[in-house]
Amino acid sequence: MGRNRKNINVQKFTGSMQKKLTVLFLLILAAFFGLTIRLYAINRDNGEEYKKQVLSQQEYDSIALPAKRGEIIDRNGTKIAVSQKVYNVIVDSKTLNGDEGKYLEPTLNALFDTDIQFLYTRDELKDFIISNPTSQYRIVAKKQEYEVISPLMEKLGDKAENPNLKGVWLENTYQREYPYGSLACDVIGFVQGDNEGAYGLEEYYNTTLVGTDGREYGYLNDDENLERTIKAPDNGKTLVTSIDVNIQSIVEKHILAFNKEHENEYREGAGSKNTGVIIMNPNTGEILAMASYPVYDLNNPRDITGLDIKVDEEYTTQGNIDIDIAEGSSDDADTSDDAEGDEAGDSVSGNSVTAPAGSDIVEENIEVDKPKTYEEAYEDAKMEALNALWKNFCITSTYEPGSTYKPFTMAAGLEEGIFTGNESFNCTGVKEVGDHEIHCNNRFGHGQLTFSGALEQSCNVAFMDMGAMIGKSLFMKYNKLYNFGLKTNVDLTGEALTNTLVFDVNRMVPTDLAISSFGQGFNVTMIQMISGFCSLINGGNYYQPHVVTRIINDDGATVQNIEPRVIKQTVSKETSDKMVELCNSVVSEGTGKTARPAGYRIGGKTGTAEKYPRKTGNYVVSFMGYAPADDPQIVIYTVIDTPNVESQPHARYATLLTRDILTEVLPYMHVFMTEELTDEEKAELDEAALTFAQSAGKTLSENETVSENDIEEETNDDSVIVFEEQEAEKEKPEYKLDPVTGYPIDPETGAVLDPDTGQPVDPTISDLE
Amino acid sequence: MSEPERRRKQNKDKAFFDYTMLFIVLFLLCFGLVMLYSVSSYESSLDFGDSAYYLKKQAQATLVGIVLMFVVMMVDYHFWRKFAIPAYIVSALLVLLVLTPLGYEVNGAKRWLNIGISVQPAEAAKVGMIIFFAAYVCRIGKNVQTLKGVVRTLLLGVPISALVLFITQNLSSAIIIFGIIFMMVFVSTPNYKEYFLLGIGLVAVAAVFVILVQKGVLTSEQSYRFGRIEAWLNPEAYAGTKGFQTLQALYAIGSGELFGKGLGQSMQKLGFVPEAQNDMVFSIICEELGLFGAFMVLLMFILLIWRFLVVANNAEDMFGALIVVGVMAHISLQVILNVAVVTNTIPNTGITLPFISYGGSAVVFLLIEIGLVFSVSRRIRLKNPVKNQGTEG
Repeated sequence: MGRNRKNINVQKFTGSMQKKLTVLFLLILAAFFGLTIRLYAINRDNGEEYKKQVLSQQEYDSIALPAKRGEIIDRNGTKIAVSQKVYNVIVDSKTLNGDEGKYLEPTLNALFDTDIQFLYTRDELKDFIISNPTSQYRIVAKKQEYEVISPLMEKLGDKAENPNLKGVWLENTYQREYPYGSLACDVIGFVQGDNEGAYGLEEYYNTTLVGTDGREYGYLNDDENLERTIKAPDNGKTLVTSIDVNIQSIVEKHILAFNKEHENEYREGAGSKNTGVIIMNPNTGEILAMASYPVYDLNNPRDITGLDIKVDEEYTTQGNIDIDIAEGSSDDADTSDDAEGDEAGDSVSGNSVTAPAGSDIVEENIEVDKPKTYEEAYEDAKMEALNALWKNFCITSTYEPGSTYKPFTMAAGLEEGIFTGNESFNCTGVKEVGDHEIHCNNRFGHGQLTFSGALEQSCNVAFMDMGAMIGKSLFMKYNKLYNFGLKTNVDLTGEALTNTLVFDVNRMVPTDLAISSFGQGFNVTMIQMISGFCSLINGGNYYQPHVVTRIINDDGATVQNIEPRVIKQTVSKETSDKMVELCNSVVSEGTGKTARPAGYRIGGKTGTAEKYPRKTGNYVVSFMGYAPADDPQIVIYTVIDTPNVESQPHARYATLLTRDILTEVLPYMHVFMTEELTDEEKAELDEAALTFAQSAGKTLSENETVSENDIEEETNDDSVIVFEEQEAEKEKPEYKLDPVTGYPIDPETGAVLDPDTGQPVDPTISDLE
Repeated sequence: MSEPERRRKQNKDKAFFDYTMLFIVLFLLCFGLVMLYSVSSYESSLDFGDSAYYLKKQAQATLVGIVLMFVVMMVDYHFWRKFAIPAYIVSALLVLLVLTPLGYEVNGAKRWLNIGISVQPAEAAKVGMIIFFAAYVCRIGKNVQTLKGVVRTLLLGVPISALVLFITQNLSSAIIIFGIIFMMVFVSTPNYKEYFLLGIGLVAVAAVFVILVQKGVLTSEQSYRFGRIEAWLNPEAYAGTKGFQTLQALYAIGSGELFGKGLGQSMQKLGFVPEAQNDMVFSIICEELGLFGAFMVLLMFILLIWRFLVVANNAEDMFGALIVVGVMAHISLQVILNVAVVTNTIPNTGITLPFISYGGSAVVFLLIEIGLVFSVSRRIRLKNPVKNQGTEG
C-alpha cells in the first residue's frame, strides 16, 4: 500500500503474475543458454578454419616492398645493367563497389584518362570489378614507368580534388634494363620471371644481386593508434666488373664486321658458326672483354628475329606458312638452308664443337619424347635455338685447340729440361706414328728447322718429335697442370666441364700423344686456353680468370674486394721468359705476322684445327696473342669456328681479326707505338683515323650520358642517349691519328688528344710505365 | 544532528536501493566504453583522424544518460502514469516527424531526427510504450485476462510497431516494441496454452517464409529482407555481398578461442567486420576476450535481468511491476536478438547490444528505463530489514 497515496485502485502484482514472470525469466535463461551453446559450437566446429581465414585476410594489409636488384658496372663505372623503378596499378573491387558504386565511374575515368597501358579495356575492367566484388587486389597495369604513372599519382595524392577516386593504389617494383642493349650479352646474362638471373653474371651472382624484399605492415600499437611499420628492403649489391665497355664495343664491332663480311660467302648463313674473342689481363686474370657471335638484345632476350629455327624434317611438310605468319618472320623459319653446317657431331645443343678422334667420347645423344604437333616441334626448336643463342661460346663450347697448344707442349719440355732450345728438327712433310701417317701442315715438309723455327712455322712433325721426347706421362702431367680437363671456375654461369674430353694417360697410344702435341684429339674451352696461356707468358702464375673485381652495397661502400688469385705455378720464370721470346718471333718471323697491328710489337701463336669428322673441310682457326711483346699487358684470344669461306684452314682469318681489334684497343689502353710505320701502314692508319675518331666521339658521348645517369637515375632513357650521340657526332670534327701514339690529333692546335677525355696529353707519360 | 535530520536519515536507511543493479549497470557501461574504444579506434582514426571519436561521443551520451537516470529515479514512477496516453501519442508523432525535414538518413535508412541533438524516435517509442502499456493493463484490470482484452491490448501495439516498421524501415525495432508489449501481456495473463499455440504459429509462419526463400520463390529482388534470409541460410555463398558482415563476424567469433587474442588485439576490427562498433560489437568481444569473455558478458546481462525479476516481483504495485517487466523484456530481447544475429542464428537485422554498442539515443533511453526500474525498486517495502542489511548499504 502506497505510503504517500491512499489509492483504492492500487493493484497488486499478483502471485500468478509473479509465477509467469518467473517462467518468462526461465525462458530468457533458456535462450541465453542456447546462444552460449551456439557460440561454443562455432568455436569448436569452425574455429581452426576461421582463424586461418582471419590470418589470410590480413595479408592484404601488409605490402611487399621489392628490393632493388644490384647494378652491373664496368671497370670505369659505366652502367651495363640497371634496375629502374616501375609501377603496377592495383584495383580494389570491394572499395569500388562500396557506397552503391558511386566511386566506380569517376575512378575508371581517372584511370583511363592517362597513358597507362592497361591489361584490360575499360569495359573489361568494369565487368571484372562488378563481377568480383570481394577482390581487393588485382593488378590491372604492369611495369609502368614513372613518367606514365605520375599524373595518376598526383590525382591519388590530391584527395580533396578527387574525392571519388578510390580503390586504386600503386605498387612499385623494378625493371631490369641494359642501356647498351646487346653489349657483352654473354657475360651479363639477363633476368627472367621473378627476378631470377639467367646466364652470365646475372645468374652466377644472382644471390648477391637480388637483395631481400622488405615489407610494410599496418598494426595497432599499444596506444591503440594505427601505425605503419616498414621493414625496409635490403637492396641488392652492385657488381664492379673488369669489363671495359669501350674495349668490349671494339671487339664486338670487329666480330660483327668479320661475320658480315663473310656472310653467305660459301654457304648460306653468318660469316662463321661462331666467333669468340676474350681479352684478359695476364697479370691479374681479369677479363677485359669477352664476346661471341651472334649476340642478342638483353632487353629482349626472347626476340627470335634473325634466328635460324630448325624444325625436325618430319614436321616441316605442314603448317610452315602458318607459323611464319604467326611469328612474323617468314625468312627466319625457313628450314632448308645450312644443311651443310649442321652435320652430325656438330649438334647445336651439345657442348662439343667436335668430338675428338682416337678417344672413346661419344656425343651425348639426348632422346627427348617426340613432340606431337608441328607447333610443339616448332616450340622445341625455338627453345633450342634460343638456348644456343644465350650460351656463352667462350666458356661453354669445347673444341680442339690446334696449334695454339704448341707453346704449352714446348713450355713443358723446357720446364722439364728435356729441351735446351738448341734442338733442331727435320720435317719431310709426314711422320709415321704407330700404323698411321700423320701429315704436317706443309705437305712438302719444312726441311731443317731450329727450335724456334718449329714454333714459327708451326711444324707438326717437329712437335710430334717433341711430344715423343717428353713422353706421355709428363705430357699429360703438364696438360693437367695447365688446368685442361678442369674448370677454371671463372665467375660466369655455364662453364663446360671437360674432364671426359681430355686423354686418359693410361689409355693413351703413341698416335694420341703425337696429335695432342700439336693440339688435336682433346677438347678445351676458350677460357681454359687463355687462362693457361697467360701463365706461360706472365712468369708462370696461373690466375683464376674472373669478371667481378669488387662488390659494393647500395650506399657505395665496398663489401668485398675480389683480389687476383694465383691458383698455381705452371712453369718457372725462366721458361716463361723463353716462351715470350719464342712467341714474339712467331709474329715477327713466322705464321703470326698478319696479327701485328701497325706500330706495335706483339707475340702470339696461330692455330688451325681440323674439326671432327675429319676430311670435311671444316676448321677452327684461332690466334692467341699478347701485347706489347716485351711486357705483356693484355692477352687476346680469337677463335673462329668454321669460317664461311671456301678454303677454311687459314689462321689468317683469326690473325687479321686480332690485328683489327688490337689496332683500336692498344691506343685506347695507352700502349705507345714502338715500331716504325711504313708508308703503307701510315696510309692505312690515316684511312682508319676517320672511323676511329667517330668511334672515339661515340665513346665520349656515351660516357657523358652515363655520368648524367649517375646524378639523375630516373631520367634514364634510351632516346636521350641516341640524341646525344647525334649531337656529339655533329660537333666532333674529324681527327687524324698521331702515328706514334695512335691518339687523335686536334686539327687546330696539333696537340695529341687523349681518346678518353678529349684533353691534350703529354706524350711522355704512359700508363703502362 | 537535529531530530528531523535524524528521522530523515532513518527513513533513508529503511528505503531499499538496489546497489547490485547499480553496480551491474555501471560495470556494463564502463565495459561497453572500453570495448567501444578497442573496436572503433582503428576505423575512427581512419575516418575522422581521431581514434577516440566514437568513444567521446558515446561517453557524452552516457553521462547525459546517467544524469537522466538519477533524475528519473528520484521521481515517483506513479507520476508517469498520468502521461500514459500522451506517451503513446508523442511516440507516434516522433516517428512521423522523421518524414518532415527534421528527419535525416543514415546508411540509407531514415531513422533519425535532428532536434538540436540526434534522436532515434524508435528508442523513445520503446520507453513510451513501456509506460503506456503498464498503465493500460492496470487500467483494464482483470479484463486483460479475457481473450478480448488480450487481443485489444496487442492490437493497440500494432499501430506504433507498424509506424516504426514502415516509416523508419526498422524491422528490428518494430519486433522489439511488439515483443515488449507481448511479454507484458504474457506476464499479465495466467494462460499458457494460447501463447504456446501463438508461438508455434509464429514459428510456422517464419518457417514458411524461409522455405519459400530456400525454394527460390521469394528472392532478394522482391525484398532485401528475403536476401538476408538467403544469406542467413548460406553465408559462404554470399561471402562478398549480403553475407559479408555475418561471415566476417563468424570469423571473428571463431578465431577467438577460449580466452581470445587479448583486449585490443582483434584483427577483424581492422576494417573487416562492417559496423563493428555497432551491431557487431559482440563478435569483436568474442575475438578479443574469447568464449570466456563472451560468457561473462552474457552472465552480467543475466544478473541484470535477474535483478529486474526481483524488483518486479517485489514491486509496490502492478504498475511498477509491469514497468519493470517492460524494461526486462526490452533488454533481454535486444541481447538475445543481437547475439543471435552475430552468431548467424537468425537472419541479419540491425539490433544493437544494450550498453555496449555505439549509439547515443539508445544508451540515453536505456538509462532512463533503468531509472524507472530504480524508481520502482526504491519503493519496495522491506519485509525483513535485518536480513537485507547487506543490500541496504
